[in-house]
Amino acid sequence: MSQRSRISSKSIDWISLTVFLSLLIIGWLMLYASVYDSNVSYAYLDFDSIIGKQTIWLAIALVAFVVVYAIDWQFWNTFALPIYGVAIFLLIMVLIVGTEIKGATSWFTFGGVSFQPSEIAKFATALAVSGFLSSYKSDIRTKNSILISFGLILLPVFFILLQSDAGSAIIFVSFFMLFYRRGLSPLFYILGFSIAGIFIGSLIFGPRIIVLAAALLGLGILIYNIGDSWRSALIFFLISSISILLYFRDLYWYGIGIVAISTAVYSFMMFQERLFRTLTLVLPAVLISTMLAFGSTFAFESLLEPHQQDRIDVWLRPEKSDPRGARYNIIQSKLAIGSGGLQGKGFLKGDMTNLNYVPEQTTDFIFSTVGEEQGFIGSFGVIFLFTLLIIRTIIIAERAKNVFIQNYAYCVAGIFFVHFFINIGMALGIMPVIGIPLPFLSKGGSALLGFTIMVAVLLRMDMARFRA
Amino acid sequence: MEDKAKVILIFVAICSFFLVAKSAQLQIFDSKYQEQARRTTLDKSIKYPSRGLIFDRNNKLLVSNSTIYDIEVIYNNVPDVIDTSELCTLLGIDKSAFIKNINKNWSSPQYHKAIPFTFLSKVRPEQFSVFQEHLHKYPGFYPIERNIRNYPHSNMAHALGFLGEVTKKDVQEKSDDYRNGDYIGKSGLERTYEYALKGEKGVGYVLKDNLGRNVESFENGRLDSSAVSGSDIISTLDLDLQAYGEELMQGKMGSVVAIEPSTGEVLAMMSSPTYNPNLLNLDRNRGVSYDSLNLDTLYRPLFDRSVMAKYPPGSIFKTIFSLVAMEKGILTPNRTIYCDGVYEVDSKGLYKQKCHQHPTPYNVSIALQHSCNTYYYQTLREFIDSYGYSTPGKGLDTLISYLEDFGLGDKLGIDYHTEGKGFLPRSEVYDRMYSSVYNGWRSTYVLSLGIGQGELELTTLQMANLAAILANRGYYYPPHLVKTFVKDEFTLKPWYTTKKKVRISQEYYEPVIDGMAKVTTLGTGKLAYITDIELCGKTGTSENAGVDHSVFFAFAPRENPKIAIAVYVENAGFGGAIAAPIASLMIEKYINGTINERRQYLEDRMKTTKLIATSSDPIDQ
Repeated sequence: MSQRSRISSKSIDWISLTVFLSLLIIGWLMLYASVYDSNVSYAYLDFDSIIGKQTIWLAIALVAFVVVYAIDWQFWNTFALPIYGVAIFLLIMVLIVGTEIKGATSWFTFGGVSFQPSEIAKFATALAVSGFLSSYKSDIRTKNSILISFGLILLPVFFILLQSDAGSAIIFVSFFMLFYRRGLSPLFYILGFSIAGIFIGSLIFGPRIIVLAAALLGLGILIYNIGDSWRSALIFFLISSISILLYFRDLYWYGIGIVAISTAVYSFMMFQERLFRTLTLVLPAVLISTMLAFGSTFAFESLLEPHQQDRIDVWLRPEKSDPRGARYNIIQSKLAIGSGGLQGKGFLKGDMTNLNYVPEQTTDFIFSTVGEEQGFIGSFGVIFLFTLLIIRTIIIAERAKNVFIQNYAYCVAGIFFVHFFINIGMALGIMPVIGIPLPFLSKGGSALLGFTIMVAVLLRMDMARFRA
Repeated sequence: MEDKAKVILIFVAICSFFLVAKSAQLQIFDSKYQEQARRTTLDKSIKYPSRGLIFDRNNKLLVSNSTIYDIEVIYNNVPDVIDTSELCTLLGIDKSAFIKNINKNWSSPQYHKAIPFTFLSKVRPEQFSVFQEHLHKYPGFYPIERNIRNYPHSNMAHALGFLGEVTKKDVQEKSDDYRNGDYIGKSGLERTYEYALKGEKGVGYVLKDNLGRNVESFENGRLDSSAVSGSDIISTLDLDLQAYGEELMQGKMGSVVAIEPSTGEVLAMMSSPTYNPNLLNLDRNRGVSYDSLNLDTLYRPLFDRSVMAKYPPGSIFKTIFSLVAMEKGILTPNRTIYCDGVYEVDSKGLYKQKCHQHPTPYNVSIALQHSCNTYYYQTLREFIDSYGYSTPGKGLDTLISYLEDFGLGDKLGIDYHTEGKGFLPRSEVYDRMYSSVYNGWRSTYVLSLGIGQGELELTTLQMANLAAILANRGYYYPPHLVKTFVKDEFTLKPWYTTKKKVRISQEYYEPVIDGMAKVTTLGTGKLAYITDIELCGKTGTSENAGVDHSVFFAFAPRENPKIAIAVYVENAGFGGAIAAPIASLMIEKYINGTINERRQYLEDRMKTTKLIATSSDPIDQ
């Protein structure tokens, strides 16, 4: 590849830039549609109206994009730690002098403009983690590096949780995409997904069936490891059917008893055959799963706050929640999206949107405006654009010649992915209600600015691949 | 590309596919949402149960329900152009009230443009029926039925109590039962038996179209429930007796309590001046009515004198004091104490207490018949000194411990939340009072306790209960206002069916009751005499800084008593003049149903006697 001029029309990733700009425009239009009221004429640059404010923020974001794009990428690597330090400082400051909005003390307010430092924290943590993991001294497969990388994430998470802004804190799981790419042991992911699975399963189906499933799985592994193939398969099949049958006959504990006795018998056989390794892995796993399953209800009731319990109930056990209370947002959002049909009702023609039937439609539930007015075609389009942006970011990561750039790109991909998946999933009713914005579409200046800067830095870094 | 990168890409792609699939399901494959969306809003309606009714002991209706309407509105469903001036006329409000009621503070979490809130409350049925015909012109507005209480008579205001809006605390503590704007029992039976009367609310979830019309139930009504009406209550009160008593008490300040001795059931309970319970029945004039009752600080019609006011009992106390003194051996039924109209406390005659002219009391009965003060001064002195001259506290506290047996000095536990305790002066009261006196106090300091004066204070309810104890010769059931609940799931508290015994030997009752019988035949209460009913009573004239209070308590007939009563009339002078006739008229009315025509003059006199300036029902409609 030949040397090219530093900023040339060919060096920028046109696909990403186009997707980014499209989302900016769609975002402005959808927000306009969400606040549209045929009785009110809007001054688009009036700072007191929602859309006027957003227009001004959009202009600021575009200027910021150009400015940031002009800065050499090495700057971000060099100053990663100082920026991180400033971000942490701002997170502490907001606890002291911040303004409380909707129960979270996570905003600085200067004369009508509010600003959320957790937006900077995301970007700063991305830089810091990328910087740390690009050093030749660090290796995510070693204990030390794991501790430091996790620490870099947990520090801002800690302060954000103190602001009682659980939504922004959840975003920081995004960095596990980068960790995976850098080779963090799959054990973490298996563990994480198992615990989540047991928790969710226990809440939906009750802990009993989950315990039975875990016990049967454990027994299956034992039998698989010791018996000859077809006879043991038959035995396993028999035990499973009997215990499941007993479960449905309200004789659950007899079923568990049968599985427990069989497990004891096979454990003894394995003990004699000196197959300790499998034994020490399977038995504790089953035991811990049992505790988790029975502990889930307890954890749910004692560790979560009532409004958080409501949100989990709405997600997993809708029959337990009040359709006029906690479930109302989701019901209304799904109704609005569903009513859009294939083609949508047309721009500014969504009656549920116009009549404000969906609470929080300008922020968390902006996707319902897309769904109602633009239909499935619009929903698909927005999901497609986000997916394209994330895939393109991963491609940028993979073609980077510098580990720092690759790391940073994965961070950006992770952050966009978590925002996009949770927010749209929530509007569609498949994810719990977590108050996080949809990038470029939801109302909010500091989020818009934060995402724009992230993209600008990414595109600037991508240019580095043309240099030798 | 690296394997790990591929895994990430596939993961992202699968997740995106999930979102697209779910979108497709909502928007293309599942037509339910498009149909439902046409109905636009999901509404939760509360179905209010009807509140339990209250009957008197003869099944006469005391409290019934009638309907008023709250008008609720969903802001978003109100069209931009409506005829507001017609709406205001229909509802009888002016334009500024309309503007104030419909424009709520939208930034407050209490209100939302898509959630109904109360636009106008307490619309009367006649106003509502006019509005209802025009309701279709005002989408977004709809009525909610509310039960309010009605009283077919105008009596028993205090005992029945009234309803009022729930407080913030009620809503927070019992959020399942109450929400803002609901009504709850604030006093009287309405308050005590709120749990039985209120019933259970039902809910209905309904999908409404954008004109506010119901379209269909939500999820086939799986989450709906119907309202369960509250339990009716049969009260122990006797409406006829109560109404008669209130009539006699008109123009007087005081209270009357009548109890059925064999059961502890309260037959009548009144405080005068009273008010018409219909004044506080929650329609829109209520605020004015309540204020005018509440601001009357001279007569305090809202103050329930029957259970809240503490009065010195006066001479009626001599009856139970006789019992305790005989039990302790200070008196014997036939003891004579000489009286020449003066009780000389010291031998030199420097310190005297007065008595009045009457024959010498040869025994307890005669002492009671003529209400001899000397007799009881001497008895009290001996009683206290028998535990040591220099330790009067011991003697007094022994007396007090017996009085506690009679249910004095503490609440009797009637099902009425404002009940007072009265006051029993234990020795520490006098220790404190005379702490600066050298050598402390002596029995002579508290002589007036012997005739029911001084620091001793009782509620009228306690006095009536004393009459019941005497009627029963030594026991009582805690007085109560409810006989039964119509719904089986509620039962009377076992407390009300537990017999309370008094530690007095049976033999001492007859001398006292004999004295009480003589009071009406030959003694201080002759106006209470009824030809065909043997009435046992005792007058009291409770000394007061102004005009004395007139007291009378009684039971009748002497054998198998049906009624025990206490009448307390403030500033009415001699007990035999006002309180005794009222008590005996009520007893005659209750037992015979009519008043003998020879006593008609007495009835007329009592009805017309006015001791306070205004009518007893100062703001009757």
